[in-house]
Amino acid sequence: MTHTRGEKKWFLTELPVVDYGKARDLQLRLVAERKTGVIDTDIVLMLEHPPVFTLGRRGGIENLTVSKEFLEKEGVSVIQVERGGDITFHGPGQIVAYPILDLNETRLSVTDYVECLEEVMICTAADWGVMAERNPINRGVWVDLKKLGSIGVAVRKGISFHGMALNVNLSLTPFSWINPCGLEGVAVTSLEKELEQKISMEQVRRRVKHHIERVFGVELVPKNLSELPRLQTALSPRVTSD
Amino acid sequence: MKEINELILPDDLRYAVDHEWARVEGDRVRVGLDDYAQDQLGDIVFVELPQPGETLERGQEFATVESVKAVVECYLPVSGEIVAVNKQLEDSPELMNESSYGDGWMVEVNPKDLSEMDDLMTSAENLERLKGAE
Repeated sequence: MTHTRGEKKWFLTELPVVDYGKARDLQLRLVAERKTGVIDTDIVLMLEHPPVFTLGRRGGIENLTVSKEFLEKEGVSVIQVERGGDITFHGPGQIVAYPILDLNETRLSVTDYVECLEEVMICTAADWGVMAERNPINRGVWVDLKKLGSIGVAVRKGISFHGMALNVNLSLTPFSWINPCGLEGVAVTSLEKELEQKISMEQVRRRVKHHIERVFGVELVPKNLSELPRLQTALSPRVTSD
Repeated sequence: MKEINELILPDDLRYAVDHEWARVEGDRVRVGLDDYAQDQLGDIVFVELPQPGETLERGQEFATVESVKAVVECYLPVSGEIVAVNKQLEDSPELMNESSYGDGWMVEVNPKDLSEMDDLMTSAENLERLKGAE
């Protein structure tokens, strides 16, 4: 890699609302290409998902408190994934970041990496005067025992994928259909709920990017998917990079 | 987290780059995750093991280990048939933290070619590599 300045560069690929399965396929492909060296730079995908429940390695279907028929009617799918953690919900209004990092090359331990992601969310919330913190009972960031942001990380051959999800203007109703993270009685919140007003997603994205750069000590270099030549077909035509 | 010089890396084991260990026990090879990996992962809460009878090549994924921090995939350090899995880990995954080289073992393999053991790192080589990664 060529570093013209002292600071390390990561690619940043911002996407609009992307179907969960497609985003996962894209991640798996990037992980493989990062591992084989086809891509020699770490990448952060930043996006939102249509409404979807995802189950972690440990499952969590038992923490779904409504029927599958009900979810079908509501148009929310349920997907099993390889990240850590239990059941969670993604939907529009939640900022999702998936860093595809070579943890060995970055010299980050898994523990430090997860703490850095938490730090990014804590600092972003603080920019709006919301005091979020870590909580020993569960990963992610919390405001008065209500979950504001989630972490679910997977590592394949030293390459990280999945990542963090910060609730901004998300509809919180679907969380009432589950025991989030497999914990009963856990409440969920969003920046909108804490501040009692809608927040600009664009502004929050900007602050998330800023804190990623600061916390990880990197410079984010915007790249469209089409600028990563081998990845062009990873997403369906209806999804375009902006 | 432990300092590199606090890590326990017994001399009678061989180590793979993704932190699996392998130890010849009679005609079998016992496999687990090393002290560095368990320390990095933090409290291990779930272990997914293969079915006995499966035959895998070295480098193939044979298990996933989930901690409070992350899920990592584990790769078999030597080719062969899985002849035993540590059932105790289902109920007590924390054994991998408490006893990485003892009760926290993961699987036993009937190795296809024992000379593959020679391709793995010794304790000293593993330690050198970890120092380099600091």
